[in-house]
Amino acid sequence: MSRWGMVIDLDKCVGCQACVVACKEENNVPHGSPEEQKSRREIYWHKMIAVTNGKYPNVRTEIIPMPCMQCDHPPCVTVCPAKATFKREDGIIVQYFRRCIGCKYCMVACPYGARSFNFKAQEAKAYHHQDEPPDRKSWAPWPFPVRTQGVVEKCTFCFHRIDRGLKEGRKIGTEVVPACVEACPSQARVFGDLDDPQSPVVQLLASRSSFRLREELATKPKVFYLSR
Amino acid sequence: MGLSRRKFLKLTAVAGFSAGAIGIHRRSHSLPSGQPITERALRGRWIPTSCLNCPARCGITVKVAGGRAVQIKGNRSSLISEGQICPRGHIGLQVLYDPERIISPLKRSQPKKGKGIAPQWKPISWDQAIEEVVGKLRTLRDTFRPHHLLLLSGLNSRSHEDLLSRFAEAFGTPNLVTGEGLDREAEKTGNWMADGHFDACAYDLDQTNYLLSFGADLLESTPPVARWLRKWGRLRREKTVRTRIVSIQPRYSVTASKSDEWIPIKPGTDAALAMAIAHVVIKEELFDHGFIKEWTMGFDRYRQVALQHYAPEAVSRITGIAAETIYRIAREFAQIRPAIAIAGKGATAWPGGCYTSYAIHCLNALVGSIDVPGGIFYQESPGYRPIPNVACDEIAKRGLEQPSIDLHGTEGFPAARVVTNQVPRSILEGKPYPIEMAIGFNSNFNMTAPGTGQWEEALKKIPFYVHVAPFISEMADFADLVLPSTTFFEEWGYDHSSPGAGFAEVRIKQPVVKPIGDSKSVGDILFHLAKRVPGGVTRAFENIGGSGEGFVRYRTSSLLPWEEFLKKGVWRGPAYQYRKYSRIFNTPSKKFEFVSGNLQALHKRKARGLGEGVAYVPHYSDAKWLGKEEQYPLILFPYQPLLTFENGSQNYPWAQEIFLPMQGVGWASPAEINSETARILNLKDRDEVWIESPFGKIRTRVKVSEGVHPGTVCIPFGQGHTSYGKWQKGIGCNPNEVIGVDFDLLSGQSTFFNTRVRVYKA
Repeated sequence: MSRWGMVIDLDKCVGCQACVVACKEENNVPHGSPEEQKSRREIYWHKMIAVTNGKYPNVRTEIIPMPCMQCDHPPCVTVCPAKATFKREDGIIVQYFRRCIGCKYCMVACPYGARSFNFKAQEAKAYHHQDEPPDRKSWAPWPFPVRTQGVVEKCTFCFHRIDRGLKEGRKIGTEVVPACVEACPSQARVFGDLDDPQSPVVQLLASRSSFRLREELATKPKVFYLSR
Repeated sequence: MGLSRRKFLKLTAVAGFSAGAIGIHRRSHSLPSGQPITERALRGRWIPTSCLNCPARCGITVKVAGGRAVQIKGNRSSLISEGQICPRGHIGLQVLYDPERIISPLKRSQPKKGKGIAPQWKPISWDQAIEEVVGKLRTLRDTFRPHHLLLLSGLNSRSHEDLLSRFAEAFGTPNLVTGEGLDREAEKTGNWMADGHFDACAYDLDQTNYLLSFGADLLESTPPVARWLRKWGRLRREKTVRTRIVSIQPRYSVTASKSDEWIPIKPGTDAALAMAIAHVVIKEELFDHGFIKEWTMGFDRYRQVALQHYAPEAVSRITGIAAETIYRIAREFAQIRPAIAIAGKGATAWPGGCYTSYAIHCLNALVGSIDVPGGIFYQESPGYRPIPNVACDEIAKRGLEQPSIDLHGTEGFPAARVVTNQVPRSILEGKPYPIEMAIGFNSNFNMTAPGTGQWEEALKKIPFYVHVAPFISEMADFADLVLPSTTFFEEWGYDHSSPGAGFAEVRIKQPVVKPIGDSKSVGDILFHLAKRVPGGVTRAFENIGGSGEGFVRYRTSSLLPWEEFLKKGVWRGPAYQYRKYSRIFNTPSKKFEFVSGNLQALHKRKARGLGEGVAYVPHYSDAKWLGKEEQYPLILFPYQPLLTFENGSQNYPWAQEIFLPMQGVGWASPAEINSETARILNLKDRDEVWIESPFGKIRTRVKVSEGVHPGTVCIPFGQGHTSYGKWQKGIGCNPNEVIGVDFDLLSGQSTFFNTRVRVYKA
């Protein structure tokens, strides 16, 4: 079985946030509003953070794109009382909306802030709430045509693309990649099987020094960063 | 039972989940037209077209399913950005489906015009709208005053730009004013002085090993931005030598954070730094002797100026950059070849900006980076099928003899091609003649030009103003009539990028979805108008296709067969040829000139306009400031983040919520102030402040930062909209409201950075 992982090259990354937008576009993630930003209720499956250190003029900001880290030891899965979140065989952590009871325990447990709670009311269906554009639910094998209020959401590594790609016998990592990888204009992201020594992710990791976020917590993320 | 509760739950969860997922997959799909669902229909169809959210005009493909655009990707056949697009490309969906788009022509019923006065729109029919516009147009021509018509052009497709200039010429008005005068005219003029090309530079990013950027936000606002985003990956890790990138600007931008080195410079002193680098390169004999000897003119004079006045020690006092740093980057620049020096807006949108651009361009010649691999390209133009010249009738001829109201080419702006910000002044003064009617095509100058107040006054004064755009904007608020135009998803056109890739490339723009409401493309509107204005105008629009679509067919028939073009979306010219030295320089000496022969020739022709003391060599002069330093101690240094749209709207929540990645905020335009300055002014993060210049004041919040020069206040462009839109109205502030109106000496470009301000708690 494959073990999907992602490598993000911070030297190539340009901080443009195409990944953030492409994720919303692909996964039908609702956008926020000024009020939601103030109360930190925006939903991001993929976000971008900037970490600044130093004093003028020796300042240094690192811009870090952050999908779900898809940990091998995921704290969110351990704590979920409803077993609504679990690890698939291929290592992707998914959220099953129907089982989720909205307790947000997983959000507290996640050391990366990768999870969001959907506060959006079902009535809000105007276009700008991308939750439910009129025609979409009727046309595509979209995994999330209708959003569920009151549950926790997160990045899925675009497993719908992977599953479909596998069924069609296409090569995952080259022909089929998650939306954020596809949209990255500087091509700073690589996706593939961490257990396959031939895969580009493994080879890239072997060629450069890499790190994972908050490694000391032993969550074993499957998202790796190549430093500059 | 050997099954623990835990395991049981786990199993059911998996089973339940897959069932859920399958349930969705298996749900019966019905398409609106009722056809059976094939795999292809389910997946939608990808249609190639061209983006128009900024002047880069990237090739895109749009996924259409059920008659609705649902996803956007770059077009892999477009090699300018290797088929990649910036985030704005994806947000095109929200441009198309903006819920507040106009769906029918609107007529004003509130006679009073002004900022904040609701126009009280009444929907009218297209026939009535066109009739009213044509009536006024005819009157102007019948009374031999065609030049009293003003046409304003914002961000439009190349095809629409071509039709617009044809319309202006045939009608007989010299007043077709674009937004170019707010953008890169100073940079272009500097290049023109050096090599005779009045154009922005294009760079061979595939092979360069050193980038020295003066005030250019390469990853945010330097067109074509998608090319920069893509090639950055190549510069860093896809070639044998990792390109070293040095970013010189007062603000620590995304570009600076991604560069190898950020050198904060005192605003407005880039020319001095460029000359100091030249000083070191010349003094240490590091320049390209061969190129200088063979293909340049005036090197001795340039050498003398650089050596005499621009020793790094002296320039260090001007720029605030240590002399050792100047020595170091000069040596790096000359020794790590091929190297490129880039003049950005932050360095050139100044009163002496054309000379700054000239000084920076000369650095490229010094290290021989002209028309070589890894150096400067001279952008090639696509070979569209030519349109027959306009046969002007008598009325048009008389109109075209008049000076343009932007006064370009006259004494005030001798070397200028378009002086956008002079227009409101001329209107208000009624000189050289009054403007009786104006039509704005996707323009929003009372938002994007410095001194928004004068635009508002001028728009108020125009007796009849027609605005053509897909949505209401600040400028539309002053219109008597608004005509709904289509977005780039719903219309025909052809487009090519601003200079970037060297080789020529054209993208087709085809409708991917049906126009929303009753909107028509700018091209179709122009054909409609032309047909009804008899005489030369009607004749000029005959036999060139007959409609927006026909015109595109006509013009691109020299490139590709139509069907193939529709399918591929991209036509590309031959690969770029390097080292065309014998024919590339459009200067009197046919060489690269360190002493500008073009400027000398212009000076001879228009001696009065340029004054006596005009210099022909690149040099630095102290910036002229708007506002006294004692009263206004800080410099306002605005900037354009990547997610600022250039189509006149910002009503796009996907862009708004992640507007400023470095600060981690959206829906806002905070004023960044250096922590030391903030301490002196006793300001803290998120304090409400007034930013006051001699021309007005705006209110915003403070963002204390380590990434700005202590003498500056940095505010992003893009916010502060007042006209429409749930997701933009009343959010943030617009720095253009307090920026003073000033121009570059020769090019007439609006300056953006020489306004002084003071900051105090609100």
